[in-house]
Amino acid sequence: MEIKHTALAGTLESSDVQITLSEGKGISIDLDSQVEKQFGKQIKKVVTDLLAKYDISDVKVHVVDKGALDCTIKARLIAAIQRATDTQNEQNWGVLG
Amino acid sequence: MDTIKMDLSDPYYYQQWKKLIENEGLYIENLDDITETIGIYDEDKLIATGSYFNNVLKYLAIDQEYQGGNVFNKLVSYLISNLASQNIFHVFVFTKTQYQSSFEYLGFKMVAKSRFSTLLETGDYSIDQYISELPKVSGNNISAIVMNANPFTLGHRYLVEEAAKQSDMVYVFVVSQNASLFKTSERVELVKAGTKDLKNVVVITGGDYMVSFVTFPSYFIKSRSDVVTYQTELDAQVFKRIAKSLNITKRFVGEEPYSPTTEIYNQSLKKILAPEIVLEVLKRKEIDDDIISATKVRQAIAEADLETIGKYVPKTTFDFIKMNLKDLLRRINNGN
Repeated sequence: MEIKHTALAGTLESSDVQITLSEGKGISIDLDSQVEKQFGKQIKKVVTDLLAKYDISDVKVHVVDKGALDCTIKARLIAAIQRATDTQNEQNWGVLG
Repeated sequence: MDTIKMDLSDPYYYQQWKKLIENEGLYIENLDDITETIGIYDEDKLIATGSYFNNVLKYLAIDQEYQGGNVFNKLVSYLISNLASQNIFHVFVFTKTQYQSSFEYLGFKMVAKSRFSTLLETGDYSIDQYISELPKVSGNNISAIVMNANPFTLGHRYLVEEAAKQSDMVYVFVVSQNASLFKTSERVELVKAGTKDLKNVVVITGGDYMVSFVTFPSYFIKSRSDVVTYQTELDAQVFKRIAKSLNITKRFVGEEPYSPTTEIYNQSLKKILAPEIVLEVLKRKEIDDDIISATKVRQAIAEADLETIGKYVPKTTFDFIKMNLKDLLRRINNGN
């Protein structure tokens, strides 16, 4: 799928994550997190795995993590993807597996 | 805690807002430079507020008792989501240097820093991306000019010509803020048309990073001179960062006998750009003992005085004005 325009989901409050997706070449992830040392790899893995399920290969991702759990990161990323690809009304249940 | 939009034209909200802003040591400049204001309440008490103007966050203040907690994150997050819902994703904030790291924790990155304040940005665009998109040129002697060119006059032409004579390559950055009589696209086209014969001149737009509502709002909104000083020093720092990455070693500006704001700007530039970048101040070009200025051209347009306009502008600008005189007069009458 193709990123059609910039979109944002999530907040900067504790235990949440704010994700901004915009057009880019290849996948680039810019991660800001106080727990980057411990969980940086894991957060990036959650993001790249989910992008792969949506077949998105060109996107700029800005992740500002405030200690979110994986399920929160997934939920926020799905919301951002749906907004950025104008597919809010087409649920893709397959990606939740 | 509730978050609401505050209507500052309502004295009830304005008084609460003013009290909090002033308690936190912020100075209220001008309510015209606020697009929207939000407030966070604990019961009936206003504990935090933040505003924005276009894509710039401002007037952020949190009650002493609530600082250091989650209120700051909540406030900034709410403002960013609010802007996102209007499709504004590239967001700036000016802040005191001591709060820089608080914003960096929220994903903001520093654009530039002066002794008074720091400018940070976040979102889907950045100064590094802006720099990477600029055309790169080679040469030992690369210079730059930043102009609003509202519109491009013989004075601007003289400045570009002199710079072109003294340099291998000249970048002309045209201010891209759409806040002038001539639209941004018109200003850029007239600069391009008026310098077409100069082979070593590249004309580009300055984006958010050169004399914009972000870096230098008081260029567009009248402000106190100390405010102008801190803004111009920051604008100069932003320019320096861009100039260094393009190997620019000189910036040309016109002497500014009439505008105190621009005079302060030139002083700040001189101070901040040294020693890597030299500021070259050229004397204004005169015609019949009369300094050429875009202000005079705009006055002549308002009086539909084509003869005077012709004295001050190159043919390319003159032809455009002549062809669009009615439209320009209409814009002036509509208060532009």
